[in-house]
Amino acid sequence: MPGAIGPDEIRRVAGAALEIRGADGVEVLFLHEWGGLTRFASSAIHQSTWREDTGLRVRVVVGDRIGIAGTNDFSEAGARAAAENAREMAGVVAPDPAFPGLAPEGSLEDPSGFDEATASVGPKRRADGVATLVSACADDFVAAGAFETVGSEVAVANTEGRFCWAPRTMASLTTVVTGGEGGSGFAEVFAAGVDEIDPEAIGRRASAKAAASQRPRDVDPGRYPVVLEPSAVSTLVGFLAWIGFGGRLIAEGRSCLSGKQGDRVAAEAVTIFDDANEPGTLGIPFDFEGVPRERVSLIEHGVFRDGVYDRRTAKQTGKRSTGHALPPPNSEGPFPLNLFMAPGGSTVEEMVASVDRGLLVTRFHYTNIVHPVESTITGMTRDGTFLIEHGEIAHPVKNLRFTQSILESLQGASMVGRETDLASEFFFSASRVPGLKVDSFQFTGSSDH
Amino acid sequence: VLDVARQAVEAATAAGADYADGRVVADDSESITVRNQEMEGIDRSTSEGIGIRVLVNGYWGFAATARLEPAEIERTAALAVEIARASSRLPRDPVRLAEVEPVTGSWHSPMQEDPFHVALEEKVALLMEATRRLQQVDGVAFAEGGIDLYRRRTHLATSEGTAIEQTTVHTGGGIEATALGDGELQRRSFPNSFRGHIAAAGWEHVQKLGLIDEAERTGAEAVELLRVPECPSEVTTLVLDSGQMELQIHESIGHPVELDRVLGMEEAYAGSSFVRPEDRGRLRYASDLVSITADATLPGGLGSFGWDDEGVPAQRTPIIVDGVFQDFISSRETASVLGLPSSGAMRADGWQNLPLIRMTNISIEPREGTLADLIGDTDDGVFMSTNTSWSIDDKRVNFQFGCEIAWRIKSGKLVQMYRNPNYTGITTEFWGSCDAVGGREDWTLWGTPNCGKGQPGQTARVGHGAAPARFRNVRVGVRG
Repeated sequence: MPGAIGPDEIRRVAGAALEIRGADGVEVLFLHEWGGLTRFASSAIHQSTWREDTGLRVRVVVGDRIGIAGTNDFSEAGARAAAENAREMAGVVAPDPAFPGLAPEGSLEDPSGFDEATASVGPKRRADGVATLVSACADDFVAAGAFETVGSEVAVANTEGRFCWAPRTMASLTTVVTGGEGGSGFAEVFAAGVDEIDPEAIGRRASAKAAASQRPRDVDPGRYPVVLEPSAVSTLVGFLAWIGFGGRLIAEGRSCLSGKQGDRVAAEAVTIFDDANEPGTLGIPFDFEGVPRERVSLIEHGVFRDGVYDRRTAKQTGKRSTGHALPPPNSEGPFPLNLFMAPGGSTVEEMVASVDRGLLVTRFHYTNIVHPVESTITGMTRDGTFLIEHGEIAHPVKNLRFTQSILESLQGASMVGRETDLASEFFFSASRVPGLKVDSFQFTGSSDH
Repeated sequence: VLDVARQAVEAATAAGADYADGRVVADDSESITVRNQEMEGIDRSTSEGIGIRVLVNGYWGFAATARLEPAEIERTAALAVEIARASSRLPRDPVRLAEVEPVTGSWHSPMQEDPFHVALEEKVALLMEATRRLQQVDGVAFAEGGIDLYRRRTHLATSEGTAIEQTTVHTGGGIEATALGDGELQRRSFPNSFRGHIAAAGWEHVQKLGLIDEAERTGAEAVELLRVPECPSEVTTLVLDSGQMELQIHESIGHPVELDRVLGMEEAYAGSSFVRPEDRGRLRYASDLVSITADATLPGGLGSFGWDDEGVPAQRTPIIVDGVFQDFISSRETASVLGLPSSGAMRADGWQNLPLIRMTNISIEPREGTLADLIGDTDDGVFMSTNTSWSIDDKRVNFQFGCEIAWRIKSGKLVQMYRNPNYTGITTEFWGSCDAVGGREDWTLWGTPNCGKGQPGQTARVGHGAAPARFRNVRVGVRG
């Protein structure tokens, strides 16, 4: 397994932390990541990097007090020093009565998501991929983007006798193509293996979008029916995860879904679930405290079922952990990292054909929360926004600002795409979603490009 | 440790690098969070390693490792050279570096009391008392307090002869109250949102913040926000406090004047900029009351240092003078494209990332008067305070920002509190409408600890000196 440290060595180093004296419990979270990222702009490689790092986060329990220390010194001495540091903190801080204890004895080792070819990719292969992408772009257009290949290992060990380990790989190629007389196009692919990346296809797709978005015209902000491509939908789903699906937010009344278990919150066609073990995502089968990740039905045919839980929120709410803890300390609570929106039966072309006057959105940019309880967010369109008239693309338009409730938009989702794309905001987190037609979407401003 | 950096440079040069730098970085951090008088989290972290950057035939390569033994450094240096050679797969104008005098020396950020040496019990006790006072306010559901400490030791050696050592210590704290009711969630924080006010200083900075003294008012405002009307939707006069001005400067001036963005190097990620190289000395960016300076020499600023991560000395650079755009913040590579010297703005997030152009301390120069004077001089408008939300397009033109709290200004007085305020605008129109900038009395050097940029993603801590200011004809109260 090229690049990986492996479970035996991880056990040995973690053992030095688990054995310290004066602790009632110790947990070691191990993270190892290595890989390269080749960045390009103006159709040339301008930043190409490689890095390798290991991390140990040691959580020490003394009575009902907790201390946490992290180090990137992957050695027995480093693990021991971190554990002693954490124990010292636990000795002086205030109690944490909500601490649920460490995960119980058990073992889970899963090397299935590790692709040896991806873990071994060198800079030449990434550079060749970028060159292929660039050559697929039309004349007068230039490409910018990043080609990344990463290997990783995650492990959790604790004094209850739990040990989990999972090596993984990830490859991604993202591009924005610009040129001509204004306008730009975007395409990206995330996958577990580098062989799933087709640079030529990605370049062609972004280039075609850039060509189609030339000379964008002004359009008045206002309410429009929209066809959202998967990348735009991933923004809505990702923000809903942030402000909606966490069990802690829900329990504390801070979620836009608090108190709505069993309520219809979206159109019948909308089903969202989280499943790290489903093919087509980049998940690991346990969370960062070593609890197996379960498939959780979040919104089922428009009805909100429940959120995700970790051991702490499970204790607080009388529920069971669904295996969605983030690394400690974590004030956000549990979080779904492997979301899926179930596909429907429509193509993007069919969705466009159903719109009399509306907009087609490729992706959103720099989105942020306006009102968390109302699930209202704001952001911009970019890299291909088009006016639809009488069921056809009429012309590209300049970028628009939206200010819109996510739940309201999901309530107005009248068509769901049959193809899904995987979008990833950061490693271990990915959403696989289809395109959507939303009957009414509020645009509140516009830009000059 | 400098010898380790020098060894990396020698290994890279031996492997074929025309230029090389080795940067050994040791990061330490401590973060404490208390919520409703219970420990929410306490965390100390350390990270050490080396980043090796090379130029081969005008192409960059970068490789980083956490292991500092000689064989690993030699392997990593050779890998950096291999990466640079692979980058020549696509032709480009070779990178040229603006000239800089090689330097040797050391620099430490100013500090009276090392916050890492202050007893944990004292830090926890401060947060416990502050959150106790927040919680005493009837209606506060969640009372949070946090303290964050960062120490970075950097040793940089370059093949041009630079050999420097720097240590920065950043210290901050803040409190936040959350009130819930009837479909509303309102937050009020002090001294600023997103974990408070952080500065290049020691424990004395946290002691002066007044977290305990201001807790009751902070909690009371959070609760009152549940009962007041929404900020109306209208076009009106807008007064911003210095905390919100920090964010306004950051997003709509700081980022657009980064020369790597201007040259398209960030195009595919966070975007580019509406500002062009030929705009230097010509573009009317703001009204003539607005002068903006990038100053890495400001004591206490998160963007202050002795030298940047290319060994370029800290500088004070006029960005906007009397409303007219003057200059970018730059690196040696990007400055040379324009035939200029570097402004010294290259910083990396730890050892594992290559340096990027990052804001230093981008500040508005103070004019006259206090915040009270500014409000008193306003006949009708809205005053907004403390950022909650930010969004701006991929060329930094159209923005929309949200604040925690607002008040109606009538005849120079605050007459009505509003909740959920926000405002939107177009960058140069908005700055062009500025008709008042406050003076030194209410000018604060804020820290922004979470500025994201680059791929792989990097987080920088940057500074912004900001005074309250007034803007005319601004659209406020944007609703979904």
